[in-house]
Amino acid sequence: MAFKSLSKSEKAYIQASLQSNSSLRGDGRSLQEYRTISLETGVAPLANGSARLNIGKNDAEAGGGTEILAAVKLEVEDIEHGERVDQGRVTCSVSCSPAAYPLASSGGLDDLQHDYSTFLDDILSHPSITPANLGIVRGKKAWLLALDLVVLSDSGNVYDAMFMAARAAIWDTKVPRTRSVEYRAQKKQEGDMDVDEEKQSGLDTRQVKAATDFELEDYWDEGIPLVGREAWPICVTLNLLSSLHFLDATSQEEAATPLRLLLVYSVASKSTPALQGMQLLGSGEVDVAQIKKLIQDGEKHASQLLAAINLKLRDEEVRLTDKARLKFASVR
Amino acid sequence: MVEITIRKRQREDAVITQRKFFKKTARGKVIKVIRERYLRDDVVCGIEGCRECSHTTDTLLPRNGSPDHKSFPNGHYVLPDTNVFLAQMDLMESSLFTSPIILLQTVLEEVRHRSLPLYNRLKALVNMDDKRTWIFYNEFRSETAVVREEGETPNDRNDRGIRKGTAWYNSHISLTRPTIRGQPPPTLPTVVLLTDDVANRQKAEKEGIPSLSVRKYVEGMPNNSQLLDLLSAESDTIEPTVAAGGRGPLYPEYLSSGTLTAGIKAGELHQGHFNANTFNYLEGSVAVPAFTKKVLLVGRENMNRAVDGDIVVVEVFPEKDWKAPADEVVDQEVTLRNDDAEDSEEEADNDEVIAEERKALRSEEAARRAAERQPTGRVVGIIKRNWRAYVCHIDSSSLTSSNTTSISQQTVFATPVSRLLPRIRMRTRQAPTLIGQKILVTIDKWDVHSRYPEGHFVRALGKAESKEAEQESLLLEFDVPYRPFGKAILDCLPPEGDQWVVPPKSELGPAWRDREDLRHLNICSIDPPNCQDIDDALHATRLPNGNIEAGVHIADVSHFVLPDNPMDSEAASRGTTVYLVDKRIDMLPALLGTNLCSLRPFVERLAFSVIWELSPEAEIVNVRFTKSVIASKFAFEYTEAQRRIDDAKQTDDLTESIRLLNTMAKKLRAGRMAAGALNLASPEVKIHLDSSESSDPIDVEQKALVETNSLVEEFMLLANISVAQKIQDAFPQTAVLRRHLPPPPTNFEKLQDILKKRRGLSLDVSSSGALAASLDKCLDPGEPAFNTLVRIMATRCMLSAEYFCSGSVSKDTFGHYGLASPIYTHFTSPIRRYADVLAHRQLAAAIAHVPLHASLHSKAHVERVLGGVNRRHRMAQMAGRASVEFYVGLALQGRVARAAQTHAGRVTQEAFVIRTFRNGLNVFVSKLGIEGLVMFKRETQFDADDYTLTIPSADGGAGATIAVFDKVVVSIDVEKDRNTQRGKVKMALVSPVDSVGL
Repeated sequence: MAFKSLSKSEKAYIQASLQSNSSLRGDGRSLQEYRTISLETGVAPLANGSARLNIGKNDAEAGGGTEILAAVKLEVEDIEHGERVDQGRVTCSVSCSPAAYPLASSGGLDDLQHDYSTFLDDILSHPSITPANLGIVRGKKAWLLALDLVVLSDSGNVYDAMFMAARAAIWDTKVPRTRSVEYRAQKKQEGDMDVDEEKQSGLDTRQVKAATDFELEDYWDEGIPLVGREAWPICVTLNLLSSLHFLDATSQEEAATPLRLLLVYSVASKSTPALQGMQLLGSGEVDVAQIKKLIQDGEKHASQLLAAINLKLRDEEVRLTDKARLKFASVR
Repeated sequence: MVEITIRKRQREDAVITQRKFFKKTARGKVIKVIRERYLRDDVVCGIEGCRECSHTTDTLLPRNGSPDHKSFPNGHYVLPDTNVFLAQMDLMESSLFTSPIILLQTVLEEVRHRSLPLYNRLKALVNMDDKRTWIFYNEFRSETAVVREEGETPNDRNDRGIRKGTAWYNSHISLTRPTIRGQPPPTLPTVVLLTDDVANRQKAEKEGIPSLSVRKYVEGMPNNSQLLDLLSAESDTIEPTVAAGGRGPLYPEYLSSGTLTAGIKAGELHQGHFNANTFNYLEGSVAVPAFTKKVLLVGRENMNRAVDGDIVVVEVFPEKDWKAPADEVVDQEVTLRNDDAEDSEEEADNDEVIAEERKALRSEEAARRAAERQPTGRVVGIIKRNWRAYVCHIDSSSLTSSNTTSISQQTVFATPVSRLLPRIRMRTRQAPTLIGQKILVTIDKWDVHSRYPEGHFVRALGKAESKEAEQESLLLEFDVPYRPFGKAILDCLPPEGDQWVVPPKSELGPAWRDREDLRHLNICSIDPPNCQDIDDALHATRLPNGNIEAGVHIADVSHFVLPDNPMDSEAASRGTTVYLVDKRIDMLPALLGTNLCSLRPFVERLAFSVIWELSPEAEIVNVRFTKSVIASKFAFEYTEAQRRIDDAKQTDDLTESIRLLNTMAKKLRAGRMAAGALNLASPEVKIHLDSSESSDPIDVEQKALVETNSLVEEFMLLANISVAQKIQDAFPQTAVLRRHLPPPPTNFEKLQDILKKRRGLSLDVSSSGALAASLDKCLDPGEPAFNTLVRIMATRCMLSAEYFCSGSVSKDTFGHYGLASPIYTHFTSPIRRYADVLAHRQLAAAIAHVPLHASLHSKAHVERVLGGVNRRHRMAQMAGRASVEFYVGLALQGRVARAAQTHAGRVTQEAFVIRTFRNGLNVFVSKLGIEGLVMFKRETQFDADDYTLTIPSADGGAGATIAVFDKVVVSIDVEKDRNTQRGKVKMALVSPVDSVGL
């Protein structure tokens, strides 16, 4: 989705310098290097979890870079009506700030949002990665985890940024503590001699109706983190230019790249990354053997990226709780 | 240019400055709420003369605290923990508890969170004049604010905050009063943490914070014996729990509140008010919307510690386990006579008592008829306790014999005056002095292990049977506010006091604005004898066109009682004037009620007039409403007015006016009856008092009614209906109306069945008109009182009328069943009913006299006020009835004594049987307007389907069969219960069979 209009000679220049022996990039990075990523969690106090992520912020210009805001809202959902899953579900939607795409027509912006939403929702709402603690009352009520992403500005590599922001917001999410309560009517006393009672049909599918609801535990903290948040996927975009690939393309580079391969990995702790999704964008071509190789490379990049993000997220947790408390203690 | 500075908080501070929590809404959504907190350093300590804190108020804590406690000779302040207010509010409220109190914000908020009624009492306590209380906003002072630690429960966090507050106070006191060189070190008062939470106390000791349990603290106070009685049972750690624990729970535990709501939502559990049965203490019922009949609760386990008035949740058994209500009288006092209050001894008796109760239940069960089965269930939880202070007697037999004079603490039974309540176990040191007194007792808790609720003594009301104690206990029992009016309220009265007169007529004066001058009319009032609060007066004249002008003039109370001032709020909370036999508790200060608003004769008064033009057939041609000035020409008593009407020689204008009113009233009444109005009866008696001073009752008689009674009544009804239409038109959303819902036909089933089986009469209850017609046919040529009796019984089957806000119910339920009027309100007695005051304001606004006060535009406000007025109204009626009963009892005592002197032996009266039990009869003595129970100890033959009871005669002969509606003769005796000092009317059958010895 290249909105930057680039002249043929510009494209050729970028492609040539990337393919040169020393692989030159406009900002002097190596091919497998990311721009600076800054990440902050807990930015929206009223959301259940939130994060703001920026790739390639240029301090000298006090701006720039790809900026994503992600927020998680948990809503109680009745799951007895409708075709919902038993243990809660995740939905994801992306909206793009018009400021991020000043050249897009309003129709184009809608299409873009739709594309982003579909791609993210397909992958993130997959039951295999749905957190295990979204259920409230079995078969009755569950949390609907609504993940909303806003693209505030786009200067390339928006997919990676969105997945990272989503992961950070999910990491930050706390599920309120609930206690399910249920009331079951007294069972008929055993040994009752009700001879002329109707015989129970084997096809009787009526269930024992248990009245159920839940209550919030009397706790002031925000709750417990999502189970399985470590396995939340991240995305690595490999920009393919003939035989070489490079990471974290700026928008100019994206415009000059014929083909991009999006690889989404979910890394359950310590094990090898599992490929969760894959998409090819662009008009170029690539053969299967090459893709296999790329997937292996992608795994490596994903592990590295993940390690960096996890480190930062843990840091954020400490900042928001312990450090603040220490600061409070030292003020007094 | 204005400089804009953005004061933004660091997000890192959020942990301190924000409090986040989740809230579950009624619709099941969960929302996150964030509260901001700003810490400051200038929250003041509230101690007089503190050099650090600058105080602006003068109600401060004394500089050296209170020196009265023996553990703290240097003076002290108490800083109570939340549990103290939750459990020991009576102690804290006592005027004997004089220690200065430091109330932490944390505590205040926790109390509010846990119990709103207690929070309101706490707020009242803070404002009490004889208390020294200081609220310290510890959560906002930077030194005392606490932040929740990881994994800390809110409770622990609050406890930590309270400890920190205590520690801060102690260090604050020592820091602000340093030792000055050359002077002896100053004596520093201590701030004592008062808590019944053992864990909190231990932690406090570890941190070096002085802390005490409430009991320990009170023991060290000067007048401790009185205060110790006020301690609620909850802090009784001395309670012998071993014995209780050993015998296993008597009652099932309640389900958790979440489970209850879940069950109610799913329709498997039902919520309703618990009503105890007057005749059988082992039975109660709960009316729930899901069933047409009430849900029956049989036996202690199934009633599961519910007390009359509680909102409970019941589980209904499967239909095959349903039962019929008992037809036997089971008296708590008889069955449980041998029960002992002391816990340890009780255990031995326990099995015996339970066995006895089981027997009582079983013998009934066999007799229960299948036909009358109704939903039966058990209480599984309590939504809201409706416990209050109950008027009780000490059961003297529960005192251990060796202890009748000792002042050591002992456990006794307090028997509530109301038969609906269980006995209350309480501990007291004053038992010997309390015997024979009426006392006030509150229930604290009811354990699963304890057969009875546990409570504590609040205060003594005085000697039983003394008028003052009886009167006060009556008012307390029915929750009638009877304190004298406060200064703020009296300040709302006109400054001229009783010198106030209607100012001379002028168009400019505020009193005369938009007022009609009706001083020339022949207006008079007709009231019962000695009436002081005359709120209505009437007149009638013939018009030239042959029609008749009739006017009803009502005291213009809303001219004096302005909306939203202290007098108005007080009147709203009192709701109604309460009439006892010998006392009237006014809704409005006496100056208004009996003077300025009272439409006395021969003086000018402000009025609100309803003036009709009536056709000679008494149809309304025209009606108008106006504020007016009237001068009543005479104040009649009913009988006096009647004499004037009957005396053909009197032909003056005033008499003609009454005659005209009387003829119109008869036509109005005929019209009303034709429309299907009910003529209901309730037993009304009149108490003759010896003289106004002694107020000893001489005798009781039934009230006699004369034509003039109904004259006034008809015109009041007409006025009320006309006003109701007017205000409903003007304010369709908030009009104050009154309605009487038609009773559900099931209410009449039993009466219909009795009438059919016993007398072959049928009762048509399809509409009020049909009912009125069939009631008229219920005649017994030999017994004129029979019709009245049926009417009384029919009245008991009906619902009670209520005030409501026109916007809150659907329009087709506006009707007044008894009066057969589609719309009705109360307008005619604003001196003694608050709803009338509201109707006056709305009518005044409807005729554009004054704009309507904003509060009367709010549906929620009107609903709330009327809800209170309805409750007060009900209570006032019951209080009035109870007062009559008390005096009937006194009068009977006099009669019995006289009868004994004149060797007549005993007092006998004719009575009607209104209900039959397996072992007794419920009879109604119409001459005295009282009901009584005749009990038989001997075997009787009871036919429940036919409502008859066959009693063998004393010599074992054939005996007599008695049925409902039969006339019997009973002997009446007043017997004082030896244990409870409760005066009890005792009846025995004289004819057809003498039941003495049966």
